[in-house]
Amino acid sequence: MRTVARIALAAVVVAALGAAAQGQPAERGVSATEIVVGTTMPLSGPAAFWGVPISGAMEAWFRHLNDQGGINGRRLRLVAKDDGYLPPRAVANTRELVERDGVFALVSSLGTANVFAARDYVIESQTIWITPLGGTDIWAGFRQRKYLFVTYPSYIEEGIYLTTYAAANLRARNIAVFYQNDLYGQQGLLGVKRGVDRARGTRLVAQVSYEVTDAEVSAQAQKMRESGADTVILYATPRHGALIVREMARLGFRPTLLSSFTLADPAMFALAGEAWNNVYLTAYFPLPGTGDARVDATLATLSRINPALARNPFNAIAGVGFVEPFLEGLRRAGRDLTKDRLVSAMETLRNWDGEVMRGVTFGPDRRQGTNRIFMIKSEAGRYTKLTDWYTYPTRF
Amino acid sequence: MFTPLAPGRAAPGLARIPLFAVARTLVERYEDDLYLVKGPAAWTAVAALLIGLAALPFLLPRLGMGYLLFIAVLASANVIVAVGLNLLVGYAGLISLGHAGFVAIGAYASGLLAARLEVPWPAAWLGAAAISAAFGFLVGLPALRLTGPYLTIATLGFGIAVYQVLTNWTELSGGRGGLSVPALGLGVGGMSAIQQLALVAITAAVALCWIAYNLARSHIGRALAAIRDSDIAAEVTGVSLTWYKTLAFAISAAYAGVAGAIIAQALRHLEPQAFTFLESITYFAMIVVGGLGTVTGGIIGALLLTLIPHYLSGIKQWLPIAYGAVIIAMMLFEPQGLYGRWLRIRRYFKAWPL
Amino acid sequence: MIQFGQYVVGGLATGSLYALVALGIVLLYRSSRVLNFAHGDIATLATFVAFTLLGRAVPFAAAVAAGLLAAAALGAAFFFFVLRPAREASLLGKIVITLGLALVLSGVMLVTWGADTQVFPFPLSDTRVYRLGGVVVSEMSVGTIGAGMALMGLMYGLVQRTTLGLAMRAVAQDATAAQALGIPARRIYALTWGLASALGGAAGVLLAPVVYLDPYMMLDPFLKGFAAAVLGGIDSLPGAVVGGFILGIAENVFAGYVSFKFKTTLAFAIIVLVLTVRPEGLLGREYRRRV
Repeated sequence: MRTVARIALAAVVVAALGAAAQGQPAERGVSATEIVVGTTMPLSGPAAFWGVPISGAMEAWFRHLNDQGGINGRRLRLVAKDDGYLPPRAVANTRELVERDGVFALVSSLGTANVFAARDYVIESQTIWITPLGGTDIWAGFRQRKYLFVTYPSYIEEGIYLTTYAAANLRARNIAVFYQNDLYGQQGLLGVKRGVDRARGTRLVAQVSYEVTDAEVSAQAQKMRESGADTVILYATPRHGALIVREMARLGFRPTLLSSFTLADPAMFALAGEAWNNVYLTAYFPLPGTGDARVDATLATLSRINPALARNPFNAIAGVGFVEPFLEGLRRAGRDLTKDRLVSAMETLRNWDGEVMRGVTFGPDRRQGTNRIFMIKSEAGRYTKLTDWYTYPTRF
Repeated sequence: MFTPLAPGRAAPGLARIPLFAVARTLVERYEDDLYLVKGPAAWTAVAALLIGLAALPFLLPRLGMGYLLFIAVLASANVIVAVGLNLLVGYAGLISLGHAGFVAIGAYASGLLAARLEVPWPAAWLGAAAISAAFGFLVGLPALRLTGPYLTIATLGFGIAVYQVLTNWTELSGGRGGLSVPALGLGVGGMSAIQQLALVAITAAVALCWIAYNLARSHIGRALAAIRDSDIAAEVTGVSLTWYKTLAFAISAAYAGVAGAIIAQALRHLEPQAFTFLESITYFAMIVVGGLGTVTGGIIGALLLTLIPHYLSGIKQWLPIAYGAVIIAMMLFEPQGLYGRWLRIRRYFKAWPL
Repeated sequence: MIQFGQYVVGGLATGSLYALVALGIVLLYRSSRVLNFAHGDIATLATFVAFTLLGRAVPFAAAVAAGLLAAAALGAAFFFFVLRPAREASLLGKIVITLGLALVLSGVMLVTWGADTQVFPFPLSDTRVYRLGGVVVSEMSVGTIGAGMALMGLMYGLVQRTTLGLAMRAVAQDATAAQALGIPARRIYALTWGLASALGGAAGVLLAPVVYLDPYMMLDPFLKGFAAAVLGGIDSLPGAVVGGFILGIAENVFAGYVSFKFKTTLAFAIIVLVLTVRPEGLLGREYRRRV
């Protein structure tokens, strides 16, 4: 028996060597049987609540695809590294993923600071870069973006939409913004300011910031109450979003609430309770549990492979959304995969619908894969869709 | 509480031990004893080390380990911060949990000088060191009255203040949108950008370590050690506390400033997020793990605490557990810092057949 | 005036949380001169233990007691199995060991309970409010302010009025002399570690319903608690409470009337100013020393 096993093993090794010798590796990270994809994320530290479910979902989704035979006969392998949300470590990981682990493509990289720090290197090394999460608007006017593909909404455009929607449909006049004091919140604020310029009769009465390290936000709530705002727009993490709405409710201050899509997380109902009723939010993909069969099926698949993901459905689904267009590009590029073939294949995506992302479009001059959002509303512990897609102009 | 006790308190003691066990020549004059490197064997070892370090930027890509160049740059920067911090904590017995603030000041100063005023990079780096030193002097002023946890909180607050100013003074720093830093150029053909930076960073680290070795055994080093062991006794013997305490902060900050300039080049895009309280704590851990009050200890600690998280990054969310366990294990294994272990190994081999 | 009162009340609520954290830091510092960087993580762990038990339908008081006991056991065990063997380490060395512990604990919590933000159930309501002439104060805030005062009184009584407290003070002053007098110094140290950790756990349990539970919820409160302890004088228990309240109120009032963005900077600026006038903190006594 042992002899047989040894012979079999030897045969496999010889076959593998032969295959390796034959199919000369045409492209880094692509072998006859495998495609290697890398990511660096905050998997520990205060931003881990974001990085863990997103990378976990990508890994689970890859396993799901591999169980079905992979893509064009190749299995997908994700190499994930922890950067603790620290820019130097993110860059070190990125370089190692490219130069040592030899990944075919990089997926994401979380946080503006980390994306900025890694940007020069990724662009110069001509590595495929899928949806770096650091504010979509930083790519506007950026020229060397052949290998860059972004399917994430713009916070500025979102701010404009939220404001104009509130003015037109919710009788908003005096608007206050509660925002995180980093590029995410600042771009949202910028969007709201532009929206106020467009919507006649509205004005910005308060812009109140918090630091992501702040434990509580009672002074912010009171400041907004004093400003006499009838409408409050939120750009916050789930924790701070829940804190501020509860604090406002406690003060008896109940303005019309609108929020960025980052809070379109079902977890908000548990965190904020009653206070998370009648909040108007945007979304850029159909949320789990809102009647979209494909999204719900995706979540079921993810939860089956990694049960922990069921606790964080919103970020898990978003994680699939980030990689989905790239996977479709791999399918379209065919068996003979190279970097440039992938780019050409990605550029054929026209209004493409995936399991999560809908209406993704790329082109020779277009790297902003999505430019659509829609409005939802929170009612009695669930989100309901209010509007159809709102489309804003692409900028890159 | 914060009076560190460390091996090699008499700073010149470092110099007395040759790098390898060789038959020692008789020391005939005091001047002979003061030489940092003694004897041909020691010189050979030092020369080999320097040549090895200089060759690193060229060697690593040949060996297919080019990705380590960036780590080498980070390690050089961390070595510089740690050696500078050790002069403050280990020699002068003062404490700082805000060194990320000085690193940030150095990084932004070099970046702004190069980007806005178009100063050539060597001048921008010197400017970064000088500006950071000036802030070090200012932070040193409360240190004249504060010790222990009180000084800890004052320096910690300084680090947080720097972070908040850089975040919110957008006209100066670009805020959270960041600041782009022009790349340094050596004007040497055939070298990639990261090779050039690695060469410059390693050279800076070696030069600053050499200066630190010499500072430590100069009258400044002795004055700082005297302040650490008893500031009242030191003052009675004529050591000016005002001058030396603020000097220690200024020197330490200048080191951090140069390190900041290196990090600015490594990231090429500065954002306050790179300079948080967490970094300050890591710098502090480096010198304690390596060994307080010795230059070599700072180097060892900085190298270890740069490499460990990097090599552990693949174990994902288990990283903090392994990293913390390694730190605890190192402190249990060698409570005085790893430099003590290194000394003991060397002594063992020196006495070897016995 | 009502506005100002509201900012003060908000500051009092926050300040009571800082004070609770500061109490544990001070208790430990008095006895061992060690600054415990794992204080916040031990507190969070205790809260998670209570949280898990609450999820299994254990009554609130029992769950919290179990959490505090777990924290106390962890603190005492850490002293016996890690700090004792490392007695050769300098104080800075011991501080770095607590940093290592903080990393390990945060990692263990991340792996065990995940990084998600969780709701910690609490018998007092955060949204039920009292109105005092226009100023709104929640039931929860009253509870935490009360708990902060009560725990401070309890600790003060324990340290100043009991034999155990006398032994603790003796060991803190001179461990060798205390041991020569027959005081079991090691056990007193372990007890202090356990007590300080349980105090931290209490802070965590009171904090979690206000700021939500996640493995990193104590990061900022720990730093502010440490700052409050120093402001009040790091060897003074009443100082910890005074420092906590001053810090909380100053932060809130400054944020309300001047700037949210420089809130933390201001808090530290105040502390540095106070310390330049009184280097031993508001109620501390450490600086009297002989040459």
